[in-house]
Amino acid sequence: MREYAFFLGCIAPNRYPGAESASYRTAEKLGIKLLDLEGGSCCPAPGAFGSIDLNIWYAMAARNLVLAEQMKKDIALICNGCYKSIWEVNHKLKHNKELRDGVNEVLKGIDMEYKGTIDVWHLAELFYDPQIVGVQKIRDSVKVPLTGTRIAVHYGCHLMKPKKERHFGTTEHPTWMEEMVAALGAEPVEYRNKMLCCGAGGGVRGYDLVHSIDITNEKLINLKEVGVDALTEVCPFCQLQFDRGQIEIKEKFGVSYDLPVLHYCELLGLAQGMTPQELALDLHGISCEPFLQKVL
Amino acid sequence: MAEKKTKKEPAAKKETKKAAAAKAAPAKVSSPETKMEGKPRVGVFICHCGTNIAGSIDIQEVEAYAKTLPNVAFAANYQYVCSTPGQKIITDAIKEHKLTGTVVAACSPRLHEPTFRTATKEGGLNPFRFEMANIREQNSWVHMHDREGATAKAKDAIRIAVAKASLLQDLIPKSVPVEKTALVVGAGIAGMQASLDLANAGIKTYLVEKLPSIGGRMSQLDKTFPTLDCSQCILTPKMVDVGRAPNIELMTYAEVESVEGYIGNFDVTIRKKARGVLSMAEAEAKGIAGGGCNGCGDCDVVCPVIKPNPFEMGMKPRKAIYIYHPQVVPLLYTIDFDSCIKCGLCVDSCGDKKAIDLEQKDELVKLKVGTAILALGYDIFPIDKKDEWGYKKYENVVTSLEFERLICASGPTGGHLVRPSDGQTPKKVAFLLCAGSRDNTGVGKPYCSRFCCMYSLKHAHQIIEKIPGCQPYLFYMDIRSFGKMYEEFYYRIQDEGAKFIRGRVSNILEDPETKNLFIMADDTLLDRPMKLEVDMVVLAAAVQPSADTDRTRKLFGVSCSLDGWLLEAHPKLNPCGTTTAGVFLAGACQGPKDIPDVVASAEGAASAASIPIHMGEVELEPYFAQCVEEKCAGCGMCVNLCPYQALSLVEKEGRKVMQVTEAKCKGCGTCGGFCPGGAIWMQHFATPQIVAQIDAFFLGGEH
Repeated sequence: MREYAFFLGCIAPNRYPGAESASYRTAEKLGIKLLDLEGGSCCPAPGAFGSIDLNIWYAMAARNLVLAEQMKKDIALICNGCYKSIWEVNHKLKHNKELRDGVNEVLKGIDMEYKGTIDVWHLAELFYDPQIVGVQKIRDSVKVPLTGTRIAVHYGCHLMKPKKERHFGTTEHPTWMEEMVAALGAEPVEYRNKMLCCGAGGGVRGYDLVHSIDITNEKLINLKEVGVDALTEVCPFCQLQFDRGQIEIKEKFGVSYDLPVLHYCELLGLAQGMTPQELALDLHGISCEPFLQKVL
Repeated sequence: MAEKKTKKEPAAKKETKKAAAAKAAPAKVSSPETKMEGKPRVGVFICHCGTNIAGSIDIQEVEAYAKTLPNVAFAANYQYVCSTPGQKIITDAIKEHKLTGTVVAACSPRLHEPTFRTATKEGGLNPFRFEMANIREQNSWVHMHDREGATAKAKDAIRIAVAKASLLQDLIPKSVPVEKTALVVGAGIAGMQASLDLANAGIKTYLVEKLPSIGGRMSQLDKTFPTLDCSQCILTPKMVDVGRAPNIELMTYAEVESVEGYIGNFDVTIRKKARGVLSMAEAEAKGIAGGGCNGCGDCDVVCPVIKPNPFEMGMKPRKAIYIYHPQVVPLLYTIDFDSCIKCGLCVDSCGDKKAIDLEQKDELVKLKVGTAILALGYDIFPIDKKDEWGYKKYENVVTSLEFERLICASGPTGGHLVRPSDGQTPKKVAFLLCAGSRDNTGVGKPYCSRFCCMYSLKHAHQIIEKIPGCQPYLFYMDIRSFGKMYEEFYYRIQDEGAKFIRGRVSNILEDPETKNLFIMADDTLLDRPMKLEVDMVVLAAAVQPSADTDRTRKLFGVSCSLDGWLLEAHPKLNPCGTTTAGVFLAGACQGPKDIPDVVASAEGAASAASIPIHMGEVELEPYFAQCVEEKCAGCGMCVNLCPYQALSLVEKEGRKVMQVTEAKCKGCGTCGGFCPGGAIWMQHFATPQIVAQIDAFFLGGEH
């Protein structure tokens, strides 16, 4: 069993506790033990913090990294925003001595030192990596195949871009998450402008809500065009935007889509036999009932 | 800087009379024997190079130090030692102080070694008694902000150079005759033009082309900017001239296999790939009277194998036995043996001409040439790497070269521009300029591909002219219309109604049903994002060195830049030469060039390549190995080590000793470094000289 320090982030535990519990339990079935990262703070949010003061962003993220260094474990996480902060700050600090020295100067105040001894992974990439889990193992773990459902994938920007600082190959037409959806027995569905942003990231949601949900609305139109039973993603912030965002879209624009939005871990949990109660699907803004009826 | 150079110092003024006298009676000294009277006497000349060196090195301190070094009989500094008065200081000092060697501390020997050698010679010394200490490129320029460190390093460099200059010997350069033939590699417009010029200057020229036909990229173009004349119409007369010129021996479907030798005497091996078809001359030589390929095409008709034609960018079929297009030179069919099934139908239909030989093998031909020109051309950057634009993924996204074929009357659609997805005529066409050029994302190329702006303007003009109501949109960063009548052409296309949008395209999406394309871009003049639905997208893809460039350049010992373009000897003052003497560059293998620039560069290269041939002989630097016969044990190990086949064993006085073929030796030192008996003397880089340099460095000059 591989062990990782599990960086929770803010949105999953506070808004979608099901995504959190599903991560622990699905990962364990695939040979990954997620250990609590005691004392973890906000990642901090890359758009909100990074666009105001980069140094605060570096220092807070470095603190979270040091906690994992002290555990001598790589970090695993389930949110693209956290991935942007924790992965990218780790990458930058490892390669830029000047920056590292500056950050360590700040960390000295709380008796900490960043050393650069660990790596950071998104749980989804660990699931996909055949050296660690791989699609075949996911397929083998399925007890309740999601046969007959059409599921679209939203990758999210911070996971895939900037291309130069990521390692996923193509960032314009990726299909690896579709493979993981197909492994659950569902039919992955391609749709127009798949790689468009959810509308929330980069501080856009906090700055201008209408503009933000306008982008979300465009994605939902494109999804409706091809007809899907659910949308899956690997980022609770994207999840929040697509899920609760549908309610805001209904209020502001008067359109409703009623499209269930599930984190990939939630979807995997369902397929591995977790109950909707265990996944706290009733806490979603948009009811997952129609989707569940097709599956269960 | 140049103005400063000509500014005369008062000291120099005094001497102008003397200088004039020296000029009036040019000192034509042919490598005199230097008189050695006891201890070596070295003169050190330190150059300020304006502020280039003096700005970061304390010249006075370095000069004072030089005077303390062993064997230094004279030291001086001057603003520009390379200037006429500067050189005169050297010649005068040699005579006045009876110097046996000179050291100039200045720039790189690449720049001024010949200048100072000449000055040393005019002072009455053998020119090889000169040594250069580089205190500019390798010192003042890189240690601009460390005056103390740079000064110390300059002292080291001078001390080392003095140590070597104390031990330098007289050397006599060798002259070798130059073969009166030239080789041109690549028969695009650059290679053709260079060959025609050489041939017209009376030089026998071998023109080698890897493809079955000459003409290169230019033959694939429909029209040329800004004159809009048909590319083939202006090219084919030249192709015919090349085919007919008695001084040009055309070798198509052939590649350079190996290169040996040196300027004036290159031994080149050409691989003539098996094309399976005999020309009329080849048939005649084989005794088939009246036979050989006449280009009738009877074989083409019966051949059952169909392949995409690369000349048409794969948009038109060809057979396994093929010609690229009707105007090929030479008009000679070629068999693609990778796809030929050897059914023999072509042999039957060829009949009495007996032109087809299905069992033909590659043939190696040896040539001897005096000089060579590389005209290797360019390829299109694989633009599918920029996956946001969906080339190869969306049917209606094409490259500019594909567009050229689609709009060309002899192309796959007879000149009717159609959408690849449904054959419909497009009504809205977007052109993406800088597609992969000026791209710092790490995927594309950082440089400007130079001619894309202009041909995209031409493309816009062509669709406005050919398809009434069709609207071109050009997405650009800057329009670089740099040449003669180019800016005027740009205005003309604006007036014709093409729409220009300044901004790069972030993404292209395809409507899966209509196959129309949605372009997402940023209009940076209106400062707003935009979305545009078009029928077709043309990517003005970046260009890169042609696939074979790297292999070929290594055969000739030519260097390349980081991007793979071939490097000229000097980007401004020697744009056609290379660091290998006798090898020249022409056309777009040096970097993106449009047709006028390519032709100009080809004419330049032809002129440069003809000079050594017309001179008749060239002087070789005397840096060759020599065998010290009394020490040589005749083991022969050096013979096998030599990368240039310059060494051999010979019988002398009853025993075997090594012998050097001086003209072949490049002075690399491989043998000299290896010889277990220390029996090989590397001229100008002899072991005692190098040891003295190392000692001087470590012992700080105190012997």
